[in-house]
Amino acid sequence: MKKDKRDDQSPDLTRRRFLTHSGTAVVGLGMLSSGLLSAKTWAAAAVGEHASATLMRMARDIYPHDTLEDKYYAAVLTPLAEKANGDAELKKLLSEGVKELDNRCDKLFARPYLELENEPDRVFVLRAMEDGAFFQRIKGDLMMGIYNNPELWPRFGYGGSAWEHGGYINRGYDKIDWL
Amino acid sequence: MTTKFDLNDDSLVVIVGSGAGGGTLANELAQKGIKSVVLEAGKRFKMEDIENDEWKMFGKISWLDKRYVEGPARIAKDFPNLPAWIVKGVGGATLHWAGVAMRFQEHEFRMRTENGTIPGANVLDWPVTLKEMEPYYYKAEQKMGVCGTEATGMPFHGKSSHYKVVEEGARRIGARCEQATLAINTEVRDGRPSCQVNGFCMQGCRIGAKWSTMYTEIPKAEATGNVEVRPQSMALRIEHDKNGKVTGVLYADKDGNHLFQKARLVAVAANSIESPRLLLNSASAMFPDGLANGSGQVGQNYMTHTTAGVYGEFEKPIHMYKSTVVPGIVHEWKDNDPNRGHYAGYELEVLHLGLPFMSAFLNPGKSGWGRELAESLENYDKMAGFWICGEDMPVESNNITLHPTEKDQYGLPVPVVYKTDHINDTRMRNHAYDKATELLEAVGAKKVNYLPPYPASHNMGTNRMSAHARDGVVNKWGQSHEIKNLFVSDGSQFTTSGTENPTLTIVALAIRQADYIADQMKRNAI
Ligand SMILES: Cc1cc2nc3c(=O)[nH]c(=O)nc-3n(C[C@H](O)[C@H](O)[C@H](O)COP(=O)(O)OP(=O)(O)OC[C@H]3O[C@@H](n4cnc5c(N)ncnc54)[C@H](O)[C@@H]3O)c2cc1C
Ligand code: SF4
Repeated sequence: MKKDKRDDQSPDLTRRRFLTHSGTAVVGLGMLSSGLLSAKTWAAAAVGEHASATLMRMARDIYPHDTLEDKYYAAVLTPLAEKANGDAELKKLLSEGVKELDNRCDKLFARPYLELENEPDRVFVLRAMEDGAFFQRIKGDLMMGIYNNPELWPRFGYGGSAWEHGGYINRGYDKIDWL
Repeated sequence: MTTKFDLNDDSLVVIVGSGAGGGTLANELAQKGIKSVVLEAGKRFKMEDIENDEWKMFGKISWLDKRYVEGPARIAKDFPNLPAWIVKGVGGATLHWAGVAMRFQEHEFRMRTENGTIPGANVLDWPVTLKEMEPYYYKAEQKMGVCGTEATGMPFHGKSSHYKVVEEGARRIGARCEQATLAINTEVRDGRPSCQVNGFCMQGCRIGAKWSTMYTEIPKAEATGNVEVRPQSMALRIEHDKNGKVTGVLYADKDGNHLFQKARLVAVAANSIESPRLLLNSASAMFPDGLANGSGQVGQNYMTHTTAGVYGEFEKPIHMYKSTVVPGIVHEWKDNDPNRGHYAGYELEVLHLGLPFMSAFLNPGKSGWGRELAESLENYDKMAGFWICGEDMPVESNNITLHPTEKDQYGLPVPVVYKTDHINDTRMRNHAYDKATELLEAVGAKKVNYLPPYPASHNMGTNRMSAHARDGVVNKWGQSHEIKNLFVSDGSQFTTSGTENPTLTIVALAIRQADYIADQMKRNAI
């Protein structure tokens, strides 16, 4: 995976974060005063700081790309949290999902998920939950948000839409130098 | 075009579906002066609707009406409501298709004779031979503009980087590999441009270099003034008279109004799930098991080809997406050689997916996540690989049935699709996985991923051709054994699947069927 050469704080992201935390339901949680939230607490307003940090960790465990900045994961989780603000069922799915995750970790390791330092331990717990609606919701949104995100395609070496550039007929469709 | 036919005009042919079979039949008949109405469930898309975007196009043009997949195969778990990946729109699945156009091999028309009885399979010889089909294959290749054939004289596409990797691997293990004969222009031809290698053939060709009935057969048919295409018109039921002849088709228009179009002859070309479904839904007191179903074979013997994906990860970039979707084929194992441990043959079709679809298909379903998957996807630009396409066995219990209680938005029982491997299919797939791995490793693959079959793009066999009425649904012309003025004109006619992708054969059969229909109409036999 290629490193991003651009500034971490794209204007688009700033706008999205702003939108997240200026929604009426969020005001009063004390987060606004701190200005822009760090990616780790991207959704604190909707589901609380602990849950939002947990979901971020979980997202990075589901599709772990170590060189990919948090903002790309946050860009998937933020709209989900926004939606949860107006959707009681989704909110319940998220908060109860996090609770269940912590309970399972507690039983096995006597610690909440965020405090499990070893990735295999976290993955072990997630595997046991993977059939559930909570996990599948996060996974589904992430798959679309990471791999179907045109902004990230160059990082994965994928070209995206080509017809408007005249395809690859004159742009190296036949080039390969290592055979 | 503005041709409009009267609902009470009973001199017309009514064709259900405007894809490879239906679109071709409409144009062939139109060129002979025979008038038809084409009922098409989907919308009419424009070229501007075609985007180079996998999920957008999937959402825009796929057939997403409710369906169930049942059976022990993994697809029932991974894609419980998506047995098939096909299109609802004028042009049908020829919008999505990759353009691979190959003729059947001679022995593939007589697999029963070739191999004798295969336990657990319902194999039958076609009532047609390659010799009879050859002139129609030639016409189909000309019509569709298949490159690399004598019929068009068009050269192959140049060798893409993806192709070159596979070609080298094939050379190293001594396997036969060739560029694909594609129904994609490599020269300006038939009013359509030459391919510019966008790499999104399976999302619809934005520039129209690839043959699709959407912008070839359909507008040509309409230009004759002999054809009226009615989009957003879902056929619900075929009616018949007391003599058992069909009289027309009841359909729902875009506002949900039920209309009845009279017909002299009805041709069903709604692809292999919807075609048998329509015949089953047309059951009556006279035909209690559905139309044309005296043999009980309507909806049975559902075939999809034995498929799977195999993708190797290499050390250096390949950028497989910079290519026609299928630049080449490894033909080495397409013959019928039971010494391999399985009957019938398969092709390794060099094929790329974009990153979005690769992420969905590399390890589909609930457990497709985690570091291993993520690392493979980080190697997306270093991947090369195949879609396995082999002949699958017709098995009676692989079938399309009607849900006992659940109805779709048209009020029709939801189709239930049951499909699982015959042991021969499993053996063939395993052989193909092994050979593909050997080939990819020979040219330097560090890791090889096996992708399970994804929703079926090839759908066949559910109204099969047979010499005897007891064994199938239609005769060698696609004409119902029981009802003389009822025809099947799509891939559901296939007696066996062959190794090759089906569309060239569907089109060749439709051209041939049009000759027969014209002849029979002239003689007043129908
Ligand atoms: C991604 C993909 C790649 C493919 N690649 C290849 C390839 O490279 N080579 C190849 O040979 N084949 C390929 N195929 C398969 C090919 O597209 C099909 O074999 C072919 O289009 C089938 O033709 P058909 O006439 O049977 O059905 P279709 O082309 O699917 O047409 C059926 C039409 O009937 C309509 N319909 C259905 N029910 C009703 C109803 N009740 N009333 C009215 N209309 C109805 C549908 O909306 C549809 O438009 C591919 C398919 C896909 C999806
Ligand atoms: S690669 Fe060629 S056929 Fe395929 S979409 Fe592009 S221009 Fe069309």
